[in-house]
Amino acid sequence: MNEPVLKIENLTKTFTLGKRKIQPLTGLDLEVKRGEFTAIMGPSGSGKTTLLNLIGCLDKPTDGKIVIDNMDIARLPESQLCKIRRDKIGFIFQNFNLLPYLNARENVELAMELAGKFKEQRKQRAKDLLATVGLSGREQHRPQHLSQGEQQRVAIARALANDPAIILADEPTGNLDAANKQEIVKLLAELNQKQGATILMVTHDEKVAAHTRRMLFLKDGKIIDEKQGSKNGSF
Amino acid sequence: MGILTRAIRNISRRKARALLLIVVLSLALAIIISLPPTIIANQQGNQEIINEILRGIQESSESLNLTATQIDCKLGLQFLYNQGPYKNVTMMVTPFLNISDYANLTSIPEIADVIPILSYWLPDEENYYFNVTYNGYTYVDFMYIEGIPLEASYIERFPSILPTNDWTLTAGENITAGRNLEAGDHGVVVLTEVAAYYFNASVGDTINLLEHNFTVVGIQGVGRSTLPFAVYMNLEDAQTITNTTGQALKLVVFADNVENVDTVENKIKEQYPELEVQTNKAMINAALENKEYWEKKLQNTQASLDNLKNTAIMQIGIVVAAQVAIILLIMLYSVRERTREIGTLKAMGASNKMILGQFMLEGTLLSFIAGVVGIAIGTVGASTLGNLLLPRLHRYGVDYIVTAEGQEVAVPLAITITPELILAGLGIAVLLGVLGSLYPAWRAAKIRPAEAMRHE
Repeated sequence: MNEPVLKIENLTKTFTLGKRKIQPLTGLDLEVKRGEFTAIMGPSGSGKTTLLNLIGCLDKPTDGKIVIDNMDIARLPESQLCKIRRDKIGFIFQNFNLLPYLNARENVELAMELAGKFKEQRKQRAKDLLATVGLSGREQHRPQHLSQGEQQRVAIARALANDPAIILADEPTGNLDAANKQEIVKLLAELNQKQGATILMVTHDEKVAAHTRRMLFLKDGKIIDEKQGSKNGSF
Repeated sequence: MGILTRAIRNISRRKARALLLIVVLSLALAIIISLPPTIIANQQGNQEIINEILRGIQESSESLNLTATQIDCKLGLQFLYNQGPYKNVTMMVTPFLNISDYANLTSIPEIADVIPILSYWLPDEENYYFNVTYNGYTYVDFMYIEGIPLEASYIERFPSILPTNDWTLTAGENITAGRNLEAGDHGVVVLTEVAAYYFNASVGDTINLLEHNFTVVGIQGVGRSTLPFAVYMNLEDAQTITNTTGQALKLVVFADNVENVDTVENKIKEQYPELEVQTNKAMINAALENKEYWEKKLQNTQASLDNLKNTAIMQIGIVVAAQVAIILLIMLYSVRERTREIGTLKAMGASNKMILGQFMLEGTLLSFIAGVVGIAIGTVGASTLGNLLLPRLHRYGVDYIVTAEGQEVAVPLAITITPELILAGLGIAVLLGVLGSLYPAWRAAKIRPAEAMRHE
């Protein structure tokens, strides 16, 4: 339980915009242990999404070390990074990012298909995962026929599909109404508590962050503060 | 849920666009598969014309060889008393010549052969002229007896010496009953229809001429003959019955080729100034012109065909380029439109290869579907498309052929779409799909996931 899933040391990211250099991350250190539900908070432009992209292997750091499941991913080539994304990471996006031409089950299945799982196996698991997120009987619906809350549940089931080491959630409630917001964050907390999923969530909503057990505050590319909550997730 | 199903679903997501694209691409494919068979059909049509032309050239050459190398040599007209058939009168006639006097003609190297011909005009004993009404026409003339040396070596090489009243016809073609004279014939004659009517003779009958019996072996049609009462026979027979042994009216000299006719003419005139030498100059010119005409026609036909081929190649090139460009643009647009989706796929762990494959499959599948539709259109409308896109080759080409009789005959363009062509069409469709989607798919694969996720 105390074994770190994610270990970041001196992480730096610099973007060049013409002659200007922007440095959203300036030597960030972070450790996330297996089974932790962590929220990263911070104002706009504090580097939250950049941090998530780097951990999720969607972008490469300028400097520093990112170790996921004992593997330093900072210098891996794209051909290796796609395998890390597939096997170690589950993404949940603010806009859900479901593929509109696939139904709920197929969206969940696709993640497993990319991982080379057999058809029967992935079909059953997709069904089970959709049941876990409360979408039993909605498997055949395409995203456009699901509510926003339901769409985010499908995205959560998809993120869980390959049993990842860490789930990265980028403002997962950002596009949801108050009721759905509560439901989704509760679901995430439940997955963390019952299934032991490690979740790293970026949010600027304190009410949402309050459901996690650990809150990190990001400012000017560094973590400036940290709060630990109780076991049931309240601060 | 394989890659193919995803490709099909992606295509059907934008139904109107896919449909429009398929319509445009299928038309392009229809054009691509319609043009080659149109060219083949044209080639076949042209082959008929070319065959016709080649036949024309050959006939021209043959008629040149048959008649244009012929040079007639006679003595000049003289006032003669009691000459030949004209008893007890003085007449201006062509005198008979002694064949042996001109034996040296064969020493002129450009001469292929010298053939003596006896022409003898026989008057009617009672009425001077023979007078016969046949088939509604009245013919009044002397009887014309022609003696031809019926030797195999002459006849084989110069069939024009056989009885024929129309030089444009091959010797013997105007024999309407029985047969023409043959090498070695003796005691037989070929009669004109009017002469046969006069003698009341048909093939196999015997006639009496100047107290000699002859068996009729053939009847010559009236044709355009200016000699209604003609009797053709062996030279020796003619000399015997007309008491002209060793004599002939003319010597038919054959030059070894058309180009040497003038040389031969000059040499004869030089050696035998008493001879009147007559060449078939007009005929030579006509034959040469004829040959030239056919050769020009052949050139035109081939040029038209080349032109047609070039046009078709150019059109196919344009269509192929347009098709690749259309697929390229549509797929580039699709990649741009689906950038976020590409980002999501990458975030889920899709490899660059998988993204590349997905987009290439979509482009190729679209092109393949268009190929199937295009082949269907092409099979039905190849003829219309071919005629619409390629210049019509009037006269020397597809639409009409000119027969030997000079008639224009419509030749329908027989365009056939063969199974090989259908397979080739599908192959081309797939290939163009691959070519057109290669770059957009590569672009899609190379999109950096973080950028893709930021894309609006």
